[in-house]
Amino acid sequence: MGEETTTLGTIRISPNALATIAYHATLTSYGVVGLAPKNLAEGLTATITREPAHGVSVHYNGEEIDIDIHIIIEYGTRITSVADSVANAVRYQVEKALGLPIHHVNVHVQGLRVSNPG
Amino acid sequence: MDPVVQARLERFKSTPIDGQVLKKLVEAGLVWLRVNQQTVNLLNVFPVPDGDTGTNMVLTMQSAYNEIDSLGHHNVGQMAAAISQGALMGARGNSGVILSQLWRGFARALHNHEILDGPVLVRAFAEARDTAYKGVVRPVEGTILTVAKDTATAAEQALRETDDPYEILVRVVPAADASVQQTPDLLPVLKQAGVVDAGGKGLFFILEGMLRHIQGEPLDTPSAVVQPISAMKLENAMEDIEPGQDFEVVVDFVPAQELNLQNFYTELETMGTSIQVGEGEGMYRMHIHVPTENRNKPVDYIMGLGSVTKVAMENLVAQVEDINKKSAKGRIELANIEPGQIAVVTVSPGPGISRVFASLGVAAIVEGGQTMNPSTKDILDAFENLPTNKVIILPNNKNIILAAQQAKDVTVKKVYIVPSHNIPQGLAAVMHLNTDGDVEAVATRMTKSIEDVIAIEVTTATRTVEIDSVSVEQGQVIALVNGKLAVSASSVEEACLGALEKAKTDDYELITLFYGEDLSSAEANRIVDAVRTAYPAQEIEIQDGGQPHYQFIISVE
Repeated sequence: MGEETTTLGTIRISPNALATIAYHATLTSYGVVGLAPKNLAEGLTATITREPAHGVSVHYNGEEIDIDIHIIIEYGTRITSVADSVANAVRYQVEKALGLPIHHVNVHVQGLRVSNPG
Repeated sequence: MDPVVQARLERFKSTPIDGQVLKKLVEAGLVWLRVNQQTVNLLNVFPVPDGDTGTNMVLTMQSAYNEIDSLGHHNVGQMAAAISQGALMGARGNSGVILSQLWRGFARALHNHEILDGPVLVRAFAEARDTAYKGVVRPVEGTILTVAKDTATAAEQALRETDDPYEILVRVVPAADASVQQTPDLLPVLKQAGVVDAGGKGLFFILEGMLRHIQGEPLDTPSAVVQPISAMKLENAMEDIEPGQDFEVVVDFVPAQELNLQNFYTELETMGTSIQVGEGEGMYRMHIHVPTENRNKPVDYIMGLGSVTKVAMENLVAQVEDINKKSAKGRIELANIEPGQIAVVTVSPGPGISRVFASLGVAAIVEGGQTMNPSTKDILDAFENLPTNKVIILPNNKNIILAAQQAKDVTVKKVYIVPSHNIPQGLAAVMHLNTDGDVEAVATRMTKSIEDVIAIEVTTATRTVEIDSVSVEQGQVIALVNGKLAVSASSVEEACLGALEKAKTDDYELITLFYGEDLSSAEANRIVDAVRTAYPAQEIEIQDGGQPHYQFIISVE
């Protein structure tokens, strides 16, 4: 994915590299208080393997790159705005790093966190 | 503080801050932010440079205000809760959401309070800060969060001197300003862009609006903004030049006494537009666009304010014309190829000839250069990335046919080589291009067409030689007809006319002459006029080919 052939050889960028960029872009987005694993299996794997970017999955079908983000948002914020900001930030950071356009950035709000009042 | 302002403030101080006063303060914050919205938008580089921060924060504040506009509550806690609700519902963008969180914390501190007094205000700033910081896992410093934090700190310090909420606001606003100015030191991307944080600036404007309200200052004209000189955008974006703005004037100066920015701006606004003021080491830089009749006004005005160290004046209208001329000359628009269409790759020795090929629908041009000797790779690169499999190559030179053949062997695309030996043949071939046709048929037609044209190349002999019963001395002008030496002469004009005669031009209809970079257009036109006189019955066209070596490339058909 993100393969480029130069006179010296081939450059391939792995989905993991993109996922890491997306992960950090998400964590610094306002309103996001955590990333959520897609399902139980992924959650367990993430705990065991200390995967760098759980909650982020990158799909490449040979032509387009799609990124899915699963987040937990702080209760009391406007969810659509937070999700929008995440999508924008992820797209901007990944496209800037990769130099290629991203097809879709899908943000899935897996839950809200209610902080202790006071 | 100015005594008039002080007096107004005193009048306010006698009014406790209840729900209705809070409503007025929110309105003032909204109005002042809106008036300065563009300034905030222009600062936006983080987290994404979408130029939206000002607008987003205004929308958020507007939504908050809409929620309370019709409310008659005097209870400040209830009013604050409504503000928070409105902000939440209307929060837009990163800064809008943070702003809504600030209001949420603020409102929580005011819960069950009738009046907003000093201590409660300080607690509210602190709670706003805490709530905002809770909403993100990795808070970024050098943003609106930092400004909120520093504002809360300043409020706490102010409480040691006074417990009057108005006085606390008076002290808090300059602290917020200072915090905004420091954001580039905390967030590298701001420093690189030479700006302060947009969200932080937006928050400052909201607070400043409230301050201006209680000081009775107007909220309708934007703040005169001074930026660091490094952040001034002085390169002319050509599209920004408004009609009537003929000169750009930039003045560096040291004011004799402290500059009243608002008056400075107002005065400059009577002279021109696109006013920017930058501050550097003990000096200011003023930038403005003025109409011709005002070109000296800014300098004269500023000379009255202090000492002028440097003046730069540039004629904008001339600049635009120059750029238009250059870009018109420089741009060559190649055909846009859709998948399945035929892409023609041609080799060209000069920009004028390239432009003619481009106008005929060629998809890629390989620069022949001084020696008309592109490599196989040059040719391959020209078509390998085009979105089609059907390629026709016009080498336009005997020597290049081999390189074209090699490119064909290396690629998987379907390549046909039309064996053009010179530019006129290449041009004649391109005339038969049908991008949607069958590539083999088109190539065949092209190949046949090159026999229809006669090519004359006029150049200077580099050696003394005798070929085909024509003797040539080094330095003489020679002309080749269809690649064969035909004429040697002492002038370009003689060579052209001699070659045209040898080519039996009387039997043909169209003569196209491309003059090279060694000839001035005046000289070329003079020679073409001689050709016109010699061949009145033929149609004659002249083009600036820009090719090296060949004074003329002539196509006769």
